[in-house]
Amino acid sequence: MLNYVWLALIVVGILTATGRDMYDTWANTYGNDIPWHLSTFEIENAIDAGQGTVDLTLSREEVRKHFPLMKDDPPEVVCRAEIHMHDASHGSILLRIPANSPAVFSDIASAQGNDKTVVGTMARRGGEWLILLEPVRFVFMKKITTAAFEAATLAVQIAIGLIGIMALWLGVMRVAEASGLIVHLARLVRPLTVRLFPDVPPDHPAIAAILMNVSANMLGLGNAATPFGLKAMEELNRVNHRPGTASNAMCTFLAMNTSCITLIPATAVAVRAASGSADPAVIIGTTFLASTAATLSGVTAAKLLQRLPMFRMARSET
Amino acid sequence: MTEMFKSVVVTLSALAIPALLLFFLVYGAFRKVPVYETAVEGAKEGFSIAVRIIPYLVLMLVAIAVFRASGAMDILIAGIRPATDLLGLPAEVLPMVLMRPLSGSGSLGVMTDIMKTYGPDSLIGVLSSTLYGSTETTFYVLAVYFGAVGVRKTRHALPAGLFADLIAVLAALVVVRAIM
Repeated sequence: MLNYVWLALIVVGILTATGRDMYDTWANTYGNDIPWHLSTFEIENAIDAGQGTVDLTLSREEVRKHFPLMKDDPPEVVCRAEIHMHDASHGSILLRIPANSPAVFSDIASAQGNDKTVVGTMARRGGEWLILLEPVRFVFMKKITTAAFEAATLAVQIAIGLIGIMALWLGVMRVAEASGLIVHLARLVRPLTVRLFPDVPPDHPAIAAILMNVSANMLGLGNAATPFGLKAMEELNRVNHRPGTASNAMCTFLAMNTSCITLIPATAVAVRAASGSADPAVIIGTTFLASTAATLSGVTAAKLLQRLPMFRMARSET
Repeated sequence: MTEMFKSVVVTLSALAIPALLLFFLVYGAFRKVPVYETAVEGAKEGFSIAVRIIPYLVLMLVAIAVFRASGAMDILIAGIRPATDLLGLPAEVLPMVLMRPLSGSGSLGVMTDIMKTYGPDSLIGVLSSTLYGSTETTFYVLAVYFGAVGVRKTRHALPAGLFADLIAVLAALVVVRAIM
């Protein structure tokens, strides 16, 4: 199942990006190859010197002509331009995009590979100057390429960042195991766990790791929850008769984990407080109820789904 | 009542980790366990587990990033909107509902954006923050947890997780509508 979802995310992503790029080409969203007409005398001063900086005004009519798809009435855009003349009537130009310009300008800038500037060429035609910006194509193709590379780097950073915290908790867990505390903890919740995880021996270290993971999640201690969760998976894998295939206990545990009952939604409360909420903590109650409903139904779903023929494990091997 | 509950929970989560460390280690020492050597033995596993999840994490995050960057989400939202309108779910929280199982940072961004646009105390604001708090990034968790033990056939884990997410959305909608 994860296979298909994974494939679908990539295929749908790439196809959508292709479609949007094709649409942008057809509709000429970025006004490629349409010259900007300017008749500003400031340019002349810059030209005499061979290069210079001037403020250029892109009129409403010009903006509308370039971006007919723009929903709002286009504003006038004033931007600072750096000009380098090659000869008397040809030059290159770099426009600094002001903060209040329509979003399409920043899109062009980022598609050209810059943050807040766009580049192009300028030429004299009769009494006016024509500016032709470097055409922008395959915006979404570039976006998904960048996103893919960034995500790959980020994934490794996340995993490396986990090493320290994992080492700490697995070390502490090992002490708890050696002292016999883990077995005591597991016995404490035995009435519940024999029903939730009938395939796991009630004194197994997996039970304690699950208990610790769930408690950490409930208290919003995400950093501590992951090491316990991964430890729980390792222990569950020890009693899994088919390595490489998820056991019933693993699926039940993950259903509990991904929907975990939350006592304190720390991040959400913090964001609410930061956005000036009159009562940031109002969501504690609603979150508790919603997450409890989710956990109960997740566990129920896991228990029911494990019996379906398409998910069932072969009898002889369980 | 809510205040008391809140202060108890806040105290608990502040004390939990130091208390746990103290209790586990002192109990171990009391039981004559060589605590330092034992902890080091256990800590050695941390590296291998973290490194083992890298390929799973990379491939899952890349797929999600490609999907997000392509803007396919907008199209998906337009597609399922008629169904959610029937349920009375405000269309403004749909990006939250769809982003939450995929990406933690993505859904955090969506939540912050919703707060800014509609205000944290509006129905949409409360609903989206409740949603953020009450579900996890299912895809990320599955990739990491199954990756750690090399499980490739995940069976019913994903359907069960997504079903729980769906119930969380419905429950959040009912509860938030009840208090607002």
